[in-house]
Amino acid sequence: MGEAKKKDGVEIVGFACSFCTFKASEMAGSLRMKYPEGVKLVQVPCSSRVDPAFVIKAIFEGADGVFVAGCHPGDCHFIKGNYYTRRKIAALKEMFDAFSMKEKLRLFWVSAAEARRFVEKVTDMHNELKERKNEREKA
Amino acid sequence: MKTGIFICHCGHNIKHTIDVKKVSEYFKKFPSVTVSEDYPFVCSEPGQDMIRDSIEKQGLDRVIIASCTPSLHGEMFKDLLKKSGLNPFLLRRVSIREHCSWVGDDVEANTEKAKRLILAGLYSAAHYVPLEEKLVDVTKSALIIGGGVSGLSAAAFLSKMGMQVYLVEKEAELGGHVRTLKNIWPARKEGKSIVDEMVNELSGRKNVEIFTSTTISAFEGFFGNYQVTLNTPEGEKKLTAGGVIASIGFSPFDPGIKPELNYGKDERIITTLDFEKNGDAIKLPGKPRIAILHCVGSRDEQIGKPYCSRVCCINALRVAEAVKDKYKDSYVESFYMDVRAHPRGGEEYFEDTQEKGVLFTRANVAEISPTPAGIVIRGEDTLFSETFEREFDLVVLSIGMSPPIDNKLIASLLKITLDKDKFFLEAHIKLRPFDTAVKGIFIAGSCSGPKDVEESINHGRASAVKLFGFLNLGYAYVDPFISYVDPKRCSGCRMCEQACVAKAIKYDETKRVVHVEEAACMGCGLCNATCPSSAIGLKGYIDCMIDDEISAFLEAI
Repeated sequence: MGEAKKKDGVEIVGFACSFCTFKASEMAGSLRMKYPEGVKLVQVPCSSRVDPAFVIKAIFEGADGVFVAGCHPGDCHFIKGNYYTRRKIAALKEMFDAFSMKEKLRLFWVSAAEARRFVEKVTDMHNELKERKNEREKA
Repeated sequence: MKTGIFICHCGHNIKHTIDVKKVSEYFKKFPSVTVSEDYPFVCSEPGQDMIRDSIEKQGLDRVIIASCTPSLHGEMFKDLLKKSGLNPFLLRRVSIREHCSWVGDDVEANTEKAKRLILAGLYSAAHYVPLEEKLVDVTKSALIIGGGVSGLSAAAFLSKMGMQVYLVEKEAELGGHVRTLKNIWPARKEGKSIVDEMVNELSGRKNVEIFTSTTISAFEGFFGNYQVTLNTPEGEKKLTAGGVIASIGFSPFDPGIKPELNYGKDERIITTLDFEKNGDAIKLPGKPRIAILHCVGSRDEQIGKPYCSRVCCINALRVAEAVKDKYKDSYVESFYMDVRAHPRGGEEYFEDTQEKGVLFTRANVAEISPTPAGIVIRGEDTLFSETFEREFDLVVLSIGMSPPIDNKLIASLLKITLDKDKFFLEAHIKLRPFDTAVKGIFIAGSCSGPKDVEESINHGRASAVKLFGFLNLGYAYVDPFISYVDPKRCSGCRMCEQACVAKAIKYDETKRVVHVEEAACMGCGLCNATCPSSAIGLKGYIDCMIDDEISAFLEAI
């Protein structure tokens, strides 16, 4: 992978809960739905496994955006893991905001059945980041 | 380290958008990679033999299989490693089909993505350590939620095999909707007799406990030992169940939400269920004119029910036949979109009904309006592209199946998922149609999508067989992905203890460090993410694995 190629693509690292979002992404694949190649998933047992340090690391190493996706509130397989995630990511967002890069971090809920929602969410994030990247390059 | 990378073509599924040769060549130059091969079907027997040979001859200590998603063939490849004398937890599956070749069209971009996904697997697998599967005791008992035909057939099988069965039914009587049906096609039997036969079979057995008028108030625990709290008329009751079959059935579609049908405003507009219950009592003139509407509450995007309910065409045919048999000179007209009489013998039954003189009109019905003289139906004949207006003495709506009313309640109790139509979602539509994503919880009958009586009974029995296979041994292996504490790094701040949902982390006052109670740990990894001194790690998902995966994605290593 050359540096040139890396620049024009938007790289998104996603943390996907095994019980819902990862399942939804499997389903999206089986249904041959299309989403950008820049989206790559890290499978985690629960969204609460995501240490904010991972998110920061991904940004430091050149990711254009990071998302954390888990089960809908109340549906967590581990009872309330996603509530912890919600708080952690909210705090992290404040920090991202201080560096005016709030758009680089997203948190959303996708259940195992919502393949379409998964594709919509990641494509939407990809498009927004791409737009911003293009704007910056122009400037 | 000797890593073997095996890249599957999956016929054309992966090969057509990923340059597999290029990917396998790319990994050959890595010092830690001993074997890097691509093969048409890694899951086939020759493919498995190839992996086994490589492990034995080359002495591989990590295996990376880049193919379909990890949940497919997962157990099979684990077994393969076991047979080859390698710990199954040194296997890494990389999904390059569902997450790469199927979701993008650009060959070059997909090849790059596949490379990086496999690279992430390679870096992550470098941190793998052999793990032992945890052995847990399993309670040989099953909880069956819902006493309809599918639940009853599951209970009959499980109890026959000697398993303790707890059957919970919300209503006062067992049998669900089938009990109310008078003539079940094609057996032409009364629903009550089918149900009674099954209930009689159960009632003589000592290992069956039936709770009617009972709801579930709490549900906790893990596979093999679910703690259930029941709300029975006699008061609260707690029990332990090894596995669960959810068979809560369906609820009939309520045509009241479609105002143009005017259901409930006139007694001459009834549903197929109403006809079933008191069809004989309906007073009709000597030469009655009867209209039957198909697809009410099915295949209707506007009300969010795009699915076919599968049973209602046969129900409509049965109504038509019943009327024709009773009134030889009746005029029966069926308004359909297309007739899907699909169970065995259904098509023949459809033809027989046509021969009896029932008229079938392909139509979109716009409005049903009751007048004192008769019921007027306005609509469009979609074969002739004409509008029509006809008067009838009785209109029968062939209603479809809606998701059960308790679907959300049961789904959130059992932590299982609903599909887009709000039925229960199976783990895999073809390979695991009885399982849910949660181990030990199965679904049966029409709560996982519309089914007729025969299918529901079969589904219930099949789920019971699957559950029996899980519970019969009395023990089970569960994934060893649980947390461990490095006491040297632990500062005793006890943040993890507060965070742990399962209360699996205990503080040792004398040593001033925490430790994990292995049996209680659920393996969510929350403690790992919470620990400020990185003293806790979740096996299989430790910090450095995820860190390296991120680096591999972004090529920063």
